[in-house]
Amino acid sequence: MLAPPPNRRALFVGMLQVALSAFGGGLSAWSQRIVVEQRRWMSNEAFLTGLTVARLFPGPNQINMAVYIGALFRGLAGVIASIAGMLIVPFCLLMLLGLFYFKSHSLPAVDHVLTGVVAAAAGMALSMGFKILHEYWKDPLAILLALLTFLALQVAHFQLIPVVLVGGSVAVALYWPRAKGSTLDKS
Amino acid sequence: MSGFDTFWQVIKTFLGLSLFSLGGGNTLLQEYHHLSVDTYHWITNNQFADLYALAEAAPGPSSMIVGLLGLGAGWPHGVWWALATGVAAELAVLLPSTLLMVAAALSWSKFKDAPLRVALERGLGPITLGILFSVGLTVLRTADHHWPAYIVSFIVCAFMLFSRISPLYFMAVAGLLGGLGIIQR
Repeated sequence: MLAPPPNRRALFVGMLQVALSAFGGGLSAWSQRIVVEQRRWMSNEAFLTGLTVARLFPGPNQINMAVYIGALFRGLAGVIASIAGMLIVPFCLLMLLGLFYFKSHSLPAVDHVLTGVVAAAAGMALSMGFKILHEYWKDPLAILLALLTFLALQVAHFQLIPVVLVGGSVAVALYWPRAKGSTLDKS
Repeated sequence: MSGFDTFWQVIKTFLGLSLFSLGGGNTLLQEYHHLSVDTYHWITNNQFADLYALAEAAPGPSSMIVGLLGLGAGWPHGVWWALATGVAAELAVLLPSTLLMVAAALSWSKFKDAPLRVALERGLGPITLGILFSVGLTVLRTADHHWPAYIVSFIVCAFMLFSRISPLYFMAVAGLLGGLGIIQR
């Protein structure tokens, strides 16, 4: 069923394909389509495990997923090949776009168009929280923690790092798995 | 400040932030805004909004906004400093989290059933949720200054949630509305 494990070159090309397919977002879905369905490097289950790890650890999900896949098949060299595949071409494009932006953003025409694009992008940013809200909706503790985090940042104006450290520790303590019934039942 | 000073300031800033991202990096946007606009004055408020939109519209992970922030920081010192600082910013923000992720990928099978793993997975979600709402509000306030802009943002937000249309279309339409002067800064 599965294809043979990809070498470094295949990792590079596969990740490049993922990065370029996902024009305007939806990277997760594309990476699943390409890695699991087209190239059959891993089972869907293995892919979802990787995605869980990628989301759990710090760093952008898609980069972490590329790291996970690269490390799984080819160790550190695979990691470098995967990240390079995912980043080099899009990053060069973005740098060119950025240079063009800094050269021309004071032109009224460019500024007017960007003003509109920016309003649309702000809508995308606003949707990020709403998108995952349903996962927590039935858990009053989660909603309370989210609300406190929001207020700490927006009303009390705390910095992100202390909020992550304090809020994260409290949340991890509150959600620490407890053995059901007796504490001895899993001795 | 010289180009080299800015270059180092950018590297130190992003190296230090890397490990504090939750749930995929977008949680850092507010901190990026705070540091690059308020603390270090690399770019203006409007430029931050523009760069965010560029990073969202371009192919590849939107977390590459860090490269654009570095580019902006280095821009006053010339094109080559701008490019060097942009590349350095992206490498700096990725290096710590990537190293940790390599360790995680290689040791996951041992770590899988640990109580800490379960607690991290369930506990960090609500914190991420709170931060993402805060990020949304901050980006909204950075980007929009008049009611037509707010209306466009809310409509796009609704479409993002209830349809599967690519956001590129919304950006194109909104860009047209901006070009016609309907949305203004």
